[in-house]
Amino acid sequence: MTRICARGGVVVLLLGVVGLLAAIPPGAAQAPVKITLWHAMGGARYDAITKDIAAGFNKTHPNYVLEPLYTGNYGETVTKAIAAIRAGSPPHIVQVFEVGTQTMLDSGAIIPVTEVVKPGDIDFDDYIAPILNYYQVGGKLASMPFNSSTAIIYYNKDAFQKAGLDPSRPPATYKDVEAMGKKIVAAGAARAAITFGWPSWMFEQAHAMHNRPYADHGSGRQGRATRVLFNEPFGVEVLGRWKRWADEKLLAYGGREYAPNKAFLSGEVAMLMQSTSQVTTIEKAAKFPVGTGFLPRIEGQPAGRSVIGGASLWVLRGKGRSPQELDAIAKFFSFVALPAETAKWHMDTGYFPATRTAVALLRKQEWFVKHPNHETAFKQIQEGPDTPNTRGVLLGNFVQIRNITDTAVEKALSGRLSPKEALDEAAREANKLLDEYNRINK
Amino acid sequence: MEGRFPGRILPYALLFPSIAVIAVFLLVPAVEALRLSFFEVSPFTGRGTFVGLANFRELVRSDIYRGSLSVTLLFAVGVVALGLAGSLAVAVLASLRLPGFGVYRTVLLWPYALSPAVAGTIWALLFDPSTGPVTVLLRAVTGLSPNWMMNGTYALAVTVVAATWKMLGFNIVFFLAGLQAVPQELREAAQVDGAGAVRVFWRITFPILSPVTFFLFVMNSLYAFFEVFGLIDVMTQGGPGGATEILVYRLYQDAFIAARWGIASAQSILLFVMVGALTLLQFRLAGRRVVYA
Repeated sequence: MTRICARGGVVVLLLGVVGLLAAIPPGAAQAPVKITLWHAMGGARYDAITKDIAAGFNKTHPNYVLEPLYTGNYGETVTKAIAAIRAGSPPHIVQVFEVGTQTMLDSGAIIPVTEVVKPGDIDFDDYIAPILNYYQVGGKLASMPFNSSTAIIYYNKDAFQKAGLDPSRPPATYKDVEAMGKKIVAAGAARAAITFGWPSWMFEQAHAMHNRPYADHGSGRQGRATRVLFNEPFGVEVLGRWKRWADEKLLAYGGREYAPNKAFLSGEVAMLMQSTSQVTTIEKAAKFPVGTGFLPRIEGQPAGRSVIGGASLWVLRGKGRSPQELDAIAKFFSFVALPAETAKWHMDTGYFPATRTAVALLRKQEWFVKHPNHETAFKQIQEGPDTPNTRGVLLGNFVQIRNITDTAVEKALSGRLSPKEALDEAAREANKLLDEYNRINK
Repeated sequence: MEGRFPGRILPYALLFPSIAVIAVFLLVPAVEALRLSFFEVSPFTGRGTFVGLANFRELVRSDIYRGSLSVTLLFAVGVVALGLAGSLAVAVLASLRLPGFGVYRTVLLWPYALSPAVAGTIWALLFDPSTGPVTVLLRAVTGLSPNWMMNGTYALAVTVVAATWKMLGFNIVFFLAGLQAVPQELREAAQVDGAGAVRVFWRITFPILSPVTFFLFVMNSLYAFFEVFGLIDVMTQGGPGGATEILVYRLYQDAFIAARWGIASAQSILLFVMVGALTLLQFRLAGRRVVYA
């Protein structure tokens, strides 16, 4: 009891001290303007964002100080930002993954990038259209493109060779995956043919790749989505194919996000559908030659395009920002958009080099010749039509809906429900969440 | 000697810090949770619309919530049964005066000192469906390659074992202390009367241990309900297909990932009521059989 008392006393004392500190007026006018950036880049990216980008910006802009702060994974970062918005002290910039786009738009707490960056300071026409389009809502650029990605297929060239397959030819269709996969497993070149991370995202990718709506109102691009459509025959066919792969021991599901990388890197599984943001990491860690290719397509379905993932930088209004703060933010965005910075970020991670100038710079350095796997996603994103469905689905409560579709995929793959039942159940839950979201955010 | 405080204010002044901490960190949030459970709250403004019991109604009707409840009960039964039986068995062995028993006792306590995240990582690595040593071993011995990312029953079993293991050290310490309180004379007397080791254990040791067992029963139930969040988050994230989505994890998802404060508060209230009822029930039913010798 005494210990608790003592601890309580210390807490109270500390609170008092904090209160006093807060009451001291901010320092002289000479102090550099501070802006905060909340991000979700853990692991190897942590250094890239703190040491390279933030330190680089601070060095070249003596009047400004950018303070990066790691606030947990993507989901946690959004939640923390929301809590900070409510408390009235949000960071200046927050990195939000694509799933949080609708939520951020409806928050009433953001300043669109176009209102922060003065016309001409950043040449947004230089950005690769499919990338920029994702963050453009209602004709306005809502957030600053930063770490954009898409999904591609990685494959183990040694395993392909061992199975008597051409190691320079990745599977182009689901049928290829099945035929090649059976050969690989039969030859003992790997224990299973394929695995993938981010099941919900792969499911969304399959819809976009074939220009299918994921939700009504043009997948939420032509108005607030009110109903999901992923339990229509197309979605059921996709999940049905995955389930068949699982039944035929071709698919070894390895969990959400990046957990399945391990199965691919250990040589247990010969193919991996995963974000292009893993290309640097995978190439470094693999003990076999890695090949990459476009996401396999379902035969007999219309052509679409793979969809953008990753995250972008959002400006938060807080209780109003001073002109200096806004200028610091704009300068930071200009810094991020520099061809050299964009190119370096791409080389370190595998995220898109988002501007044409950066791509030209990389070409001049013959980067893609030496690293062809870094170009795969870039080529893939430029193929196919620009439609609401391929611009990427926007949903309210999307974070939770992703979770629901993850669960549905797992329920189907583990045989607890049929693909149709699992998706119907998920759609019911998702629609409930959309109703709730649209009720709250009128 | 009875000490008295001079004046009436000092005792309150001294108590104030702890009361303040409890009020700020326990009472206020609890009251706020109760209030929010009747609202549908906007995540950005914090403003809510009063919806009466709609949040509770939705939970009770939701298949997912009911599924999560049955997973939690299965999980708790598994952790408590396996944990108590396992730790009692180990404690009895550890109480034998074998050479080096001090070392065993120390080592047995280790798992309890690990954080749930570390424990979860260890078990996730052990059972990794492609590279985990346990998986490789199972594959070599049985020819099967169980994938807990795809098999819900297996996933639940692995998380139960991991959660039990994490609590084992705590249980063993209490059982060891309890075992030392068993009078040697009683056991010797029974042995003289011709009772075998098994009989001595069940007729003498076990009844004398009953207060410890009951205490651990309650503690392990609370642990299974409230404290395994980190383990689940690291190992399965509630998957596959909700097979390990215990109530606390679901609550975390709704509150801290989806920012659905209203329904999350309703869940916390329901959880509180359920665990309260369970603990009462335990005291009523099991508590009577306890002998406080």
